[in-house]
Amino acid sequence: MSRTVFGTSEEAARPARLDRDRGLVEAARRDPACFDALYRKYLAQVYSYAFYELRDHHAAEDATERVFMQAMTGLPRFEERADSFVGAGSGGEVSADASTFRVWLFRIARNVVANERRRDRRRPVTPLEDAQGLAAADDVVEAVAAREAGGAAWQAVARLPEDRRRAVVLRFVDEMSTAEIAEVLGRSEGAVRVLLHRALRSVAADLRGRLS
Amino acid sequence: MLGGGPRDARRTERYLDGLMEAEERGVADVPMDVDIDSAVVLAARQLRADLIRVHPSFRFEEGLAARLARTAGRMSAGLSAIEPAEQVVVRTAPAPIAPFRASGVAAWAEFAPAELAAAELAASDDGIATPAAGLRKLPAFATRTPRPLIVGGVGVASAAISIGAVYVAWRWSRAAHTPMVRAVRAARSGRGDASGHGRRAGVLHGILGVTS
Repeated sequence: MSRTVFGTSEEAARPARLDRDRGLVEAARRDPACFDALYRKYLAQVYSYAFYELRDHHAAEDATERVFMQAMTGLPRFEERADSFVGAGSGGEVSADASTFRVWLFRIARNVVANERRRDRRRPVTPLEDAQGLAAADDVVEAVAAREAGGAAWQAVARLPEDRRRAVVLRFVDEMSTAEIAEVLGRSEGAVRVLLHRALRSVAADLRGRLS
Repeated sequence: MLGGGPRDARRTERYLDGLMEAEERGVADVPMDVDIDSAVVLAARQLRADLIRVHPSFRFEEGLAARLARTAGRMSAGLSAIEPAEQVVVRTAPAPIAPFRASGVAAWAEFAPAELAAAELAASDDGIATPAAGLRKLPAFATRTPRPLIVGGVGVASAAISIGAVYVAWRWSRAAHTPMVRAVRAARSGRGDASGHGRRAGVLHGILGVTS
């Protein structure tokens, strides 16, 4: 997850922050076989993003495969941008764990998933509820309660508008910072902050409505 | 209702950063702004607990890793990243079999029901399928000529007649070797004309008693 460092004086003394995946990316550029390390590192994140967006395991697998194939073949065209996450807001904070490769990868994922959604718009999808039961619990009653609560959260997220849902998934599932989400979605950091805030208020209202 | 001013959004962002950081450090206390909306806090905690990262199956992971390794091998060898099998994908429909002596829309439907159905739907503005309209929408398809199919006894009879005709033609094309045959042919060739030679030939024909 991302940590932020505040203060401009500290920032001035710090050397240019580079991609935390720089070593892996350079190795993969020299020898494509080394891409495996990047693949293993980000597989679950990309797959989760695709799964939450497409709500179907098979579709998520197809999308994940396309994402990594495109990433590997397109790696020579990837351009690292140092300090790309020096945000305009919050006092010009720098995300210490920011990875431009991850942002680039998720931009590919966003496009692939969008294409998949367009292609399969008429195809029925598995309801989100069917994907429940991922976390096993020994206590049956506890499991049922957890399942119901989880289902409510899933449904609340599923009912969100597309841009808010994406922001929520990138924030909570992929643990991205606001700056990274902004880069992936092509929005400003301020817009992403507002998206997340409104998404949480919508989810809160939804959950409150269910409880009452 | 869903107001989300920049100030509230920034409070929410700080809370989310603190929530994830506390979780990472295994700390229960999350720093919280006093003015933050409690509903947002509850929703954030609920989503953090329920929106878990999903991992694909081991089989999928290893399968994709193997495909990526193959692609990496081709890239290292300076070959195309696309697998050879994928480069020559030519989608061909199975050869159509037309019904014998079938004609009209029914015959076309036998050729390509899927194309026809798609064109019908595309052609009908009001959603009502019209075969004739569908055919008009298929220029390439409309130029296709139905091929007759030789079936069973009809085919055998047709083949026998063809063989017989070929044999007769071959016999007539052969040079006459015997005087009798030459005489018969001469008589036949002179039968139609009105000259004296024709009459003589008719007499000779009568004398010889040859019938054609």
